[in-house]
Amino acid sequence: MLQFKLVLLGDSSVGKSSIVHRFVKDTFDELRESTIGAAFLSQSITIHPNDGNGAKDVVIKFEIWDTAGQERYKSLAPMYYRNANAALVVYDITQEDSLQKARNWVDELKNKVGDDDLVIYLLGNKVDLCQDMPGSETIPELNEGEDDEQKVRAISTEEAKQYAQEQGLLFREVSAKTGDGIKEIFQEIGEKLYDSKKDEILSKQNRQINGGNNGQVDIHLQRPSTNDPTSCCS
Amino acid sequence: MLSPERRPSMAERRPSFFSFNQNPSPLVVPHLAGIEDPLPATTPDKVDVLIAGTGMVESVLAAALAWQGSNVLHIDKNDYYGDTSATLTVDQIKRWVNEVNEGSVSCYKNAKLYVSTLIGSGKYSSRDFGIDLSPKILFAKSDLLSILIKSRVHQYLEFQSLSNFHTYENDCFEKLTNTKQEIFTDQNLPLMTKRNLMKFIKFVLNWEAQTDIWQPYAEKTMSDFLVEKFRLEKPQVFELIFSIGLCYDLNVKVPEALQRIRRYLTSFDVYGPFPALCSKYGGPGELSQGFCRSAAVGGATYKLNEKLVSFNPTTKVATFQDGSKVEVSEKVIVSPTQAPNESKHVPLQQYQVHRLTCIVENPCNEWFNEGESAAMVVFPPGSLKSGNKEVVQAFILGAGSEICPEGTIVWYLSTTEQGPRAEMDIDAALEAMEMALLRESSSGLENDDEIVQLRGDGHTIVNSVKLGQSFKEYVPRERLQFLFKLYYTQYTSTPPFGVVSSSFFDANQDLEKKYIPGASDNGVIYTTMPSAEISYDEVVTAAKVLYEKIVGSDDDFFDLDFEDEDEIQAGGAVNTEQFESAIDDDDDDVNMEGSGEFVGEMEI
Repeated sequence: MLQFKLVLLGDSSVGKSSIVHRFVKDTFDELRESTIGAAFLSQSITIHPNDGNGAKDVVIKFEIWDTAGQERYKSLAPMYYRNANAALVVYDITQEDSLQKARNWVDELKNKVGDDDLVIYLLGNKVDLCQDMPGSETIPELNEGEDDEQKVRAISTEEAKQYAQEQGLLFREVSAKTGDGIKEIFQEIGEKLYDSKKDEILSKQNRQINGGNNGQVDIHLQRPSTNDPTSCCS
Repeated sequence: MLSPERRPSMAERRPSFFSFNQNPSPLVVPHLAGIEDPLPATTPDKVDVLIAGTGMVESVLAAALAWQGSNVLHIDKNDYYGDTSATLTVDQIKRWVNEVNEGSVSCYKNAKLYVSTLIGSGKYSSRDFGIDLSPKILFAKSDLLSILIKSRVHQYLEFQSLSNFHTYENDCFEKLTNTKQEIFTDQNLPLMTKRNLMKFIKFVLNWEAQTDIWQPYAEKTMSDFLVEKFRLEKPQVFELIFSIGLCYDLNVKVPEALQRIRRYLTSFDVYGPFPALCSKYGGPGELSQGFCRSAAVGGATYKLNEKLVSFNPTTKVATFQDGSKVEVSEKVIVSPTQAPNESKHVPLQQYQVHRLTCIVENPCNEWFNEGESAAMVVFPPGSLKSGNKEVVQAFILGAGSEICPEGTIVWYLSTTEQGPRAEMDIDAALEAMEMALLRESSSGLENDDEIVQLRGDGHTIVNSVKLGQSFKEYVPRERLQFLFKLYYTQYTSTPPFGVVSSSFFDANQDLEKKYIPGASDNGVIYTTMPSAEISYDEVVTAAKVLYEKIVGSDDDFFDLDFEDEDEIQAGGAVNTEQFESAIDDDDDDVNMEGSGEFVGEMEI
């Protein structure tokens, strides 16, 4: 299993949390949901890499860091960005200035995250508000603060798409409310991360087998050692 | 367990979106504010508690209050987290030094900074470094560690072990003999000394109960006690008091020294053969960020770049520099460094801590145990050229801790000596370290089989027991390349001893209640500046004292019960309770053998 850290960015009320909620909820039981997120949410997907090494499925676990409201006054801590592998930058297609704000977050990200392989996904949320949705929706309202009225699209797909291309971002318009496009985002990120990181991952595994990783050992606080001096605490 | 007047927790007051389940136990964890509630776009106009300053104590307090159900607004006048506990880049340090010398950062004085041109325009960038303003180590059995686990803040952090504690004596660094096995196998120890040491270690693990042994010495110094009662020799006495106990001078009283020595011994082997841990990417600066994030998840509001201008205790309105206001229904808690202008209630900060932080271009791997990148060097009284009366402690962190790039090392030196002597002592310690390092890294070592071990990959490791000893005569032929040197004096109201005693953090009650006309801080409660203590020991005690002032009791301080099926939570919970009692529990009978009992239940 591979584990990646994914952070969410975007102004408050663009629906960042709803997107994670939608993604994580599908396989989450109720009990777990209300407790695990005290640190961060996590969810796993399976990808089917097509890299000629035989079609071996790979499980990818996302450790999803929500901004927890600290984005509201631009008070995100360096810890939030550190070692992030992927970022979802979310805007609201019905809010005119929200794409500009998303651009600022992209700049912030590129400034704060050193990793050149950082996968940034630009997401226009709330397409459900501007589409003719056939049939009635029974999914509970997640985009709080919005009513059910149709809204006017304020940001065209082309404009956002062009910006994403210039910046080398993945791009998609989604609806956290209907779930439209949400799973695909994570699948796409998982595949892209696997492709860009697989060499690194393989070499790290080899190094660990050879007792490497610089000889540094990280300690897991939830796992006190046994008193056996020959056992390693990691 | 829950007192009737206890305020309902957030989970009770505002049931979780998800908790339409059957059994609403009072310990159900509050819902995820960040996940479920789109937050209001405007500044809150009313909060329960306002906290100014995001240092270690304030951040632990904010998280405790947020999870207890208080509505917390947590601000900092800086554009970074951590305040007095911050981990800063080189550029941030430059700004900070200017602010200190302009007088705009209270409680710090006399800041001097040298930065090599190699940082910034050379091979290193400012961001490659994370310099702690008050570096700390975490004992494996401590109240803070148990709260890190309970609150799950540890999941935001990464830790590494610290097992190397050196004592500097006779121009040489001695590595500690700190385990029973090492005492048994140490060829240099006479049999009688071994027996006496073992006797003492057995006693100290359960010292409180054995009043007949220590009570007659309660008012005497620890060295008298060790020499007279246990017949230990000076090297062992110094090791026990200064390296294991990390005490500051020879006047340390018996009960306090015993408590500090036991802290080390009971922490040993909890996670492995080492007593302490260091967090990666920075120390308290990193932990404060973790607790702030936890508080935010628990519903607290965060605003950096926000300075408190005044608080009116009658209208209960706090005013900020940007003109915004907030009504505070309960308490305003302020770090001394974040005090508003015209403040008149800031407690006297009568103790000095002198600190020198250096970055050296030299990996110094020989000072670390393999697999580690941290070490502690203690310079006991009288060991330095300056004739120091107080200890100088040097906490050393290498590139593996991710606070500095490969090939460099950070030395954090500090002393509790007061006044101008302090800088002389620190300089003497720096010189001693420099000389030792130059001697070691000089050529000629490779041929001496006794002190050089070859690692599988061909790298040589110098056995640190002999550091400096064999090459005294060797004349250094080059200077060390210093990349960075930062000296400053920090002031604190907390003395450098007894920091686990809550009375030190509760001394200003009269001051808080007094009304001074024209003061901008009437009714404000001040937190304490970090003390010289190198461990995190004071943090939880100080935060609890404040918590009790706000909530009325500390019964539900981090009374969290995160349910989780796929972690080893069941075992972990048993453990945390034991950790909690490690520091100030009177009848704590945990001993080295005993620690095996509860870890035995662990699933690994």
